[in-house]
This record gives sequence, C-alpha cells and structure tokens, in this order.
Amino acid sequence: MSANMYSTERMVVEVAATILCFIIFRFMVKPYKLTREGTYLGLPLGFAFLGISYGLAALAYSPLGFDPKLLWLPQLTRTFAFVFLATTYLFSNRKSKSSKLLGETSISLLVIALAISFLLAFVAPQFAFEGYSQANVYLRIFNVICLAYIAIYTLRSHLKNLDPTTIWIPFGFIFIAIGQYSLLFWYIDSSFSAFVGSLVATFVGLAIFLFVGYRTFYGSDKKRG
Amino acid sequence: MKIYGDLLSALRSEFNERERVVLTHVQVQINVPFDRLKSYITELKELDFIEDETSLKLTEKGKQYLREYEKILDFMKRMGLAYQ
Repeated sequence: MSANMYSTERMVVEVAATILCFIIFRFMVKPYKLTREGTYLGLPLGFAFLGISYGLAALAYSPLGFDPKLLWLPQLTRTFAFVFLATTYLFSNRKSKSSKLLGETSISLLVIALAISFLLAFVAPQFAFEGYSQANVYLRIFNVICLAYIAIYTLRSHLKNLDPTTIWIPFGFIFIAIGQYSLLFWYIDSSFSAFVGSLVATFVGLAIFLFVGYRTFYGSDKKRG
Repeated sequence: MKIYGDLLSALRSEFNERERVVLTHVQVQINVPFDRLKSYITELKELDFIEDETSLKLTEKGKQYLREYEKILDFMKRMGLAYQ
C-alpha cells in the first residue's frame, strides 16, 4: 500500500468529514445535557474524537504533513471514537445503579487510556511507528467489530418498535463500518475501488447522522403535535 | 432536566384531558411521592415554567422547554437509545 496515493482526494474528504462530525457533535451532546448521565457522554465524545481523527488525517495527507512517525495518531483516535460510541450503546439500556456506574467508569477509563496513548505517542514515537503497519490492520478490524455491534444494537432496537424514523441510524453505522472495511482492503492491496468506496460510504454514513439530527431538531413539529 | 420534562408533559396532558389538574393523576403518571411532587412544582414555578402553583398552567418558557425535551427524547429514540 502507498500512503501517498490519492492524498489530495483523501485530504478533501477528511476535511469535509471533520466539519460534518463537529456539526453532528452539536446534536449528540443534547442527550447528555438532558440526562446528565455519564454513559451518554460517549455519543458527543465519540463524534468529537471522530472529527479530530479526520482532522489529523487531513493534516497528515496535506502538503504541510506532519512527522510520519505520528501517522498512526488519526487511526488511534478513530478507534477510541468508535469505542466511546459502542460503550454508550453497551450501557445505555441498563437501569441498575451499578450498571450505570460501570458505564460512567468505563467512559472515564477510556478518556484516561486515550490520554496515555497520546502521551506515549509523543514520548516514544519510534516505538509506535515500528508497529504501525500491523496495528493499523488490527485497529481497523476492531473498528469494524465495534461498528457492527452498534449497527446490530440499533437495528434490534428498530425491530422492537418498527418506527420508520428509527431505521436510518443503523444504516448510518453500517455505512461507516463499510468505509472502515473498504479502507482495510485499500491498505492491503491499494485497490482504487476500495478507496473510493470507503470515502463514499463514510460520507454517506455521516450524512445520515446529519440528516437525522437536522430532521429531529429543525424539522416540522407537526408530527409531535 | 428529565423530571421537569416529565412533569410538564404530565401537566399538559392533564390540561388537554380535563382542563384542570388533578395532582394525584400527575403523581401516578410521573411516579414520585406527593411531597416530592410538591417540591418539583415549586421548582417549576421558580424556573418560570408554570404561571403559579395553584393553576399549574404552563408558561411560554415551560412550553418551549417541553418542546425541546420532546425533541431530545425523539432524537434518542431515533439513535436507538430508549431512555427510561
């Protein structure tokens, strides 16, 4: 694989994805503001870190670039973003106080783990860079697993009530998972179709989240009465 | 937060059904002890969400809060996060 292939196209898409993520973040923070439950903090944190990861990737592929030793930072941030989202779904439907506490503790530990990972990246970038190629593949596989879990969770939630408004979000997560899966193939065999597919799928996935947020908060109130 | 949204929603449905509020109905709807319900009503008045503690009519600010509350619950439902 060549990290420099299609770098301009990729940079443009990563910048657009960063902007989309930070708009979506504004919608995702609302459930936490209402409930004040730490578990729901995973949603805004997830989209904020996803935005940061796209921003870092855009910087990495820009003419400015940054130290290749730090190239794995966007990938690590993205994985943490998906873990934040998966943690929110994992603990969201648990009503006991101990489960809620466990959910909040998990979110806190993830924040600490992310901070430590970043510190390690700057203290020993050579160490991180040596394992980058392998870690990149494993992290992408892990991302697909996290996203598949969320997609199945939201799809099951939709099937329980069969409300047409709840079908979009599972597809949003499925498209982002396809994006990660295609990037994995692009990374392995530099396939152009996998590369284009990953960009399109990621963009469609994020657009679905934007559509759902916009439709809920700025759409017509007629349905709510 | 959530309890205020639930309480405002219960008050609005009481007004819609019988044009006056029966507090025991509201208490059953939101499932809290009566003394706590009274303290929440006092807090709603302090927040300017209801006109007074006897009529319990929602102010424009209260209606606005309730609309935002329902939008967030709707968003959580769409996200597949059913909040109880």
